[in-house]
Amino acid sequence: MNQTVSAASLALAFGAAMSIAAAPVSAASHGGAMKAETEKCYGVAMKGKNDCKAGAGTSCAGTSKMDHQGNAWSMVPKGTCEKTMSKTSSTGKGQLMEFKEKKA
Amino acid sequence: MDAIPLHRPARAATKAAARPRSLPARAGIGLKPEHFREILDGTPEIGFFEVHAENYMVDGGPFHHYLSRIRQRYPLSIHGVGLSIGGEGPLDEAHLDRLARLLDRYQPESFSEHLAWSSHGGNFYNDLLPVAYNAATLARVCNHVDRVQERIKRRMLLENPATYVEFAASTLDETEFISEVVSRSGCGLLLDVNNVHVACTNHGRDAREYLTALPLDAVGQIHLAGFAEDVDAAGAPLRIDSHGAPVAEVVWELYCHALDMVGPTPTLIERDSDIPALPVLLAEARHAERILERLLPVAAESAVS
Amino acid sequence: MSADFADALLATDGGCPPGLTTWNGSAPEKRFAVYRNNVVVGLIDALADSFPVTQALVGEEFFRAMAREFVRAEPPRSPVLALYGDGFGDFIDRFAPVAALPYLADLARLEYLRILAFHAADASPLTQEALGGVLADEAALPLARFALHPSLFVLASAHAVVSLWAAHQAESDARQLAGLDTTRAESALVCRRELAVEAFRIAPGAACFIAALTRDASLGAAVEQALARDADFDLAATLALLLRAGAIVGITTPRRTQA
Repeated sequence: MNQTVSAASLALAFGAAMSIAAAPVSAASHGGAMKAETEKCYGVAMKGKNDCKAGAGTSCAGTSKMDHQGNAWSMVPKGTCEKTMSKTSSTGKGQLMEFKEKKA
Repeated sequence: MDAIPLHRPARAATKAAARPRSLPARAGIGLKPEHFREILDGTPEIGFFEVHAENYMVDGGPFHHYLSRIRQRYPLSIHGVGLSIGGEGPLDEAHLDRLARLLDRYQPESFSEHLAWSSHGGNFYNDLLPVAYNAATLARVCNHVDRVQERIKRRMLLENPATYVEFAASTLDETEFISEVVSRSGCGLLLDVNNVHVACTNHGRDAREYLTALPLDAVGQIHLAGFAEDVDAAGAPLRIDSHGAPVAEVVWELYCHALDMVGPTPTLIERDSDIPALPVLLAEARHAERILERLLPVAAESAVS
Repeated sequence: MSADFADALLATDGGCPPGLTTWNGSAPEKRFAVYRNNVVVGLIDALADSFPVTQALVGEEFFRAMAREFVRAEPPRSPVLALYGDGFGDFIDRFAPVAALPYLADLARLEYLRILAFHAADASPLTQEALGGVLADEAALPLARFALHPSLFVLASAHAVVSLWAAHQAESDARQLAGLDTTRAESALVCRRELAVEAFRIAPGAACFIAALTRDASLGAAVEQALARDADFDLAATLALLLRAGAIVGITTPRRTQA
């Protein structure tokens, strides 16, 4: 086995890590690592996905409960992506808006 | 169609087969993750909680954290929604294993599933889909119930369905079919009173006659829920089992009528969408409990037809 | 018979399977549509719950239309819906209408890892005492193998997926989106500490190191792989992050086991 990493250097780093981890959290202490907004994301999945209900029926078009049969192939995304740069497209957002795919 | 023996076993025999009503004859509500903390913090007065088995078929994390704590304080009913007992193929043994592990872990007072299918060809369709009622499907459903009860080593309750269509291939009434499954497999009946109303409205039947034709001696639990209103292609009323509204007056009436026949029975208020604040569900459960205790005269319950 | 019924549930023609009857002779298509609607909308709802940031990025209307395509192409294979959506990232990669959003697939993968982490098995982080015991045997450290928390996952992306995700977590962060360079490569560490799932943006070397540990590489070997990938790899900071995240649940050295 290649011994370029010495046991001593590992022990040094390990000890330092334990000190860092034991110290109070500060924004810079992770060296760029970012802590998530845990309270909010916590709520996202706190929902049971299996149930035994039926949808609200067939005549409530216009609500999200109804399957509208909208065709994703002829739609353009209209969300927060419009605020992000799109370096992969020559005209950025413009190309996104013009995108069309021919498919049934 | 083959001739099938439609003999009813003596009611006494069914009764003798012990009805382990270990859930208290009180009202319970569905346990929703939205209410986990409030329930642990406040320990509300309620007869029992019910959970959908599949939501807890995960390895760890918050769902088990909260359920195990809540279970320590309350009786528990586990209600499966994914076994596909009415399915054409054999039961999914891996799923049955997951179920057995869950039941082992939580030791619920009751386990129930549906007279429906939801898996076919390896796909899961996330709905309680209808079964044709004939000799072939009866044999299949009985085999599946037998297999479930053998695997989980306990009696299960089977819930009467809410359906929107019927099959040309059916040769039996739904009540005859359910009675046969109960008598052949020894399973109990989860009487969903809302489903009785929904199914009878959707198929032009009399709900009270339907109720009377069910094997009521086998009832181990009752479900109550709200429905949504729609119409079919001919403009006839079509009720949808939405679990998204309070229990309707007509269902409360039917519930009172059912209780007159089956006696005090653990009763669940089901709510799966537009879930209200916990106190709203608790109040609905208290309403059921007052009826259970016969504190409210049945007459006062009737107003809407 | 179930085959016809099942096929019609995912069909787009609005028809219904043969053999259906109605008591009043009404056309069964509308009644059957209750089932189709419930199946398709229920599964789209499950995806919307699991992929909230993916949905925010493309908007609800587009997301639901895209999710419907996924539901029809890859319906769930298991009744446990909490874990539905495993293939959603790969599907998005192949979904031409979002070709102008190259980060979207990895964003969806990050959200799915958060779901896995949320429901993963429980495990207790190593105590300070146990860690001290490992550290005391310095010579054994290079061959130490780490057991990481079952909820720990690493995602290496060519896009700024962690920043994108974080920018959707609080209202005040929304302005971060405007200046965000989505083409910056980022790696994510996802891990559940007690009940909350956390996501961290980590350097490429750290991602390489942690991924090596999850493949059961020894500490020495993992460090070498990380340094080969990224000369700036900071072992102390990365180990500190793992400790803070409660991600180290066991360490085995040739002479001892701490768990």
